[in-house]
Amino acid sequence: MGEILVSMEHICKSFPGVKALDDVHFELRAGEVMALLGENGAGKSTLMKVLSGVYTRDSGRMEIFGKEQGDLTPRQAQELGVAIIHQELNMCRHLSVAENIFLGREKTKFATLSNREMEGEARRILQELKMDLNPQQVVGELPVSKQQMVEIAKALSTNARVLIMDEPTSSLTSREINDLFRIIRELKAKGCGIVYISHRLEELQYIVDRVTIMRDGQFVTSANFRDIGMNEIIANMVGREIKEKFPRVTCQRGKRVFEVKHLNAGRMVRDISFELHEGEIVGFAGLMGAGRTETTRAIFGADPKESGEIMLDGKPVRIRKVADAIRAGIVLAPEDRKKDGLCTKLSLRQNIALPNLDMLCDRMGVVRRNRETTMCTRAVEELMIKTPSIDKDAATLSGGNQQKVVVAKWLARNSRVVMFDEPTRGIDVAAKVEIYHLMNKLKQQGIAVMFVSSEMPEIMGISDRIIVMCDGRITGELSAEEATQEKILTLATQFEKKVAAANE
Amino acid sequence: MQTTRLNPARRFFAIRGMASAMIAFAALIVIYVVFGLSNPNVFSGANIQNLLRSMSKYLIIGIGQSYLLITGNIDLSIGSLVGMSAMISATMMTHGTNPILASLIALACCLTIGLINGLLVGKAQLPPFIATLGTMFVARGVGYMINGNRNTDAIASGIGADAGDRFQNFFYYGKTFGVYNTFLVALVVFIVFFFLLSKTRTGRHIYAIGSNVDAAKLSGVSVFATTTKAYLVSAFCAFVVGLILCAQASMGNMEAGNMYEMYAVAAGVIGGISPLGGTGLLLGTFAGAAVWQTLENGLNMVGAQVGLQRIVIGVIVVFSVLLDVVIRRGARKRSK
Repeated sequence: MGEILVSMEHICKSFPGVKALDDVHFELRAGEVMALLGENGAGKSTLMKVLSGVYTRDSGRMEIFGKEQGDLTPRQAQELGVAIIHQELNMCRHLSVAENIFLGREKTKFATLSNREMEGEARRILQELKMDLNPQQVVGELPVSKQQMVEIAKALSTNARVLIMDEPTSSLTSREINDLFRIIRELKAKGCGIVYISHRLEELQYIVDRVTIMRDGQFVTSANFRDIGMNEIIANMVGREIKEKFPRVTCQRGKRVFEVKHLNAGRMVRDISFELHEGEIVGFAGLMGAGRTETTRAIFGADPKESGEIMLDGKPVRIRKVADAIRAGIVLAPEDRKKDGLCTKLSLRQNIALPNLDMLCDRMGVVRRNRETTMCTRAVEELMIKTPSIDKDAATLSGGNQQKVVVAKWLARNSRVVMFDEPTRGIDVAAKVEIYHLMNKLKQQGIAVMFVSSEMPEIMGISDRIIVMCDGRITGELSAEEATQEKILTLATQFEKKVAAANE
Repeated sequence: MQTTRLNPARRFFAIRGMASAMIAFAALIVIYVVFGLSNPNVFSGANIQNLLRSMSKYLIIGIGQSYLLITGNIDLSIGSLVGMSAMISATMMTHGTNPILASLIALACCLTIGLINGLLVGKAQLPPFIATLGTMFVARGVGYMINGNRNTDAIASGIGADAGDRFQNFFYYGKTFGVYNTFLVALVVFIVFFFLLSKTRTGRHIYAIGSNVDAAKLSGVSVFATTTKAYLVSAFCAFVVGLILCAQASMGNMEAGNMYEMYAVAAGVIGGISPLGGTGLLLGTFAGAAVWQTLENGLNMVGAQVGLQRIVIGVIVVFSVLLDVVIRRGARKRSK
């Protein structure tokens, strides 16, 4: 086993309101691939951002190449030899491969760029990594996998010995993954240490030497991959205690209201079929990027559909644009309140009225102010939105109240199906409970509720049924009684086996 | 490892932005020939000389704006800087200042505004449209006030016919090697800034921040310094055009350079400089300025009204950008 490249001890890091890292240990040795595992929000990315200088730690020791390090900037970390490849690629699409590799570190001679030298150097690096890339090629014309290789080449051109990869395979095809794994093995052979963050557990067996598992910002365990089974990994990832109490309401499951059949919309929505009944909340669980948001958007008509059928009360509805869905009574409270849910610079009144102007305007298209006032006042009372006046800007409200305004937009009309996408993200506990009560109320009124959440406790606490998605497909369905965190996570990580076939 | 060997023509078109620049050149030839067929005087040597001289202003100002467009910004102040440059240099010359000194002072004033633009956009992160809208009014105001809200007298009268004549000949009326000096000045400006953009680190950074600011930042590129350099280039170009207009009119005109910032956008965009940043070659700006001037010249010679000229140019600008948008959208789809 190689020398220790990175050793992090007792690392703590807090953000306002959250303890993101709590006494975390991490060690990386030369010539090994270390998988860093954990659920969304376990603190994996935060830890790696501390290592790569993006964040500074509150306390703890960090040694890189045997030398203790204080707070680093990204630049310093890079110079030390720590390179991170972010999940979202950061490339200048209009520049060539060589230009991107040397961006910010251009070689010049007499103030003139030495293109030939840089291209030669880039070619040498690419050749060394056995990457089949032309240094003169424009990056924007390359497929994502090749762009990723450019990122790797860029990272290594700085002579990095610690390479952090955050979900590197999520957008790759099986052949591309094989290329990536080949490169990883070569780097390993050269004595680099690689941190590999991935949710695709089935991939680990091909490259990983050791695993470190995190949960809720804490270090759980670290082990040789050979000595730990997949079941043990999953058990360690989830073992999260459920502290909160969830206000579950039981009511009679009624007739089928809503049905989606074989819906396809791009790579993240593939052959989705499910149904919703009166008087039930159906949770949609999965990891981030499982295609749940894309599914709600496709149903809502915000994104184009390729195929599939949507039935309301047994009759097919054609939803080609958002207005069709709203007219049919199928509505969405989107994931990103500030971006998609609200016009934050407008008042509460204008926000609530916006999708309901058809009901508020007279025949001449003039907004009837008293009707608007009635609608908004009623919504504020019913949902107990805390605001001094309906003419306050939506931006001035707290997160929980903003979320209620998003819902209020839809309750003013007789909606049949309400889709909530991560409705409790970023709001405090009391506000969360109010949102749960709100969903329960809708359920009791016979409205079909679809509840997308990445928080396992709440999805298990509130839903009557749980549908699990992974990689754009539904991988299973569990009733509230049979659902456990292990079962959900097992379904949520059922990626299609991309690597198995071609790998040795 | 394969090294792709392309034949010379393919390699030429593989240069980024070359295709759109060549499209603009092709359009230029078509437009020129069409006008020439309807009025043979278009092909005359005298007319070609005139064409080259008149397009020079658009070429220089277009180079300045192209620098900003490539960074994904815009400079609305350059038209006013042209006026300011003309007014400052002319006013001083009519008061007997040596033309070289007068020009240097005008240059210093223009670069100051360029620096302010850089600070506002690069440092204070104001939207470039607003920041340079402000400096546009300021620069025009300075141009008005410099000679007490009046155009200047003839520059040749104040400093003696000699120096004034030399200034006018150097920038407008004189010829060297049988070509109007104006075009030669434009050519020098073109070559210098072509080199700066395509061969230096600064040029590389200008493309990089226009392509992806965040990636450039994470690679250690100073967005502030790069933006400021681009604004200094455009201010310099405006300064040169100011001198040319001053020489042409033999005086300082308060309205000199009016709307030139927009002509500059048009020249760049017709030549394939993307207004969204990241791509474009100054060769395209060259073609764009030539297309612009040929249209103006040709429509004049076939007797079309000014109104029609404007309409034609407006349509061409929109189509050029439409082409860019369509190409980009296609590229994005393919890369998905």
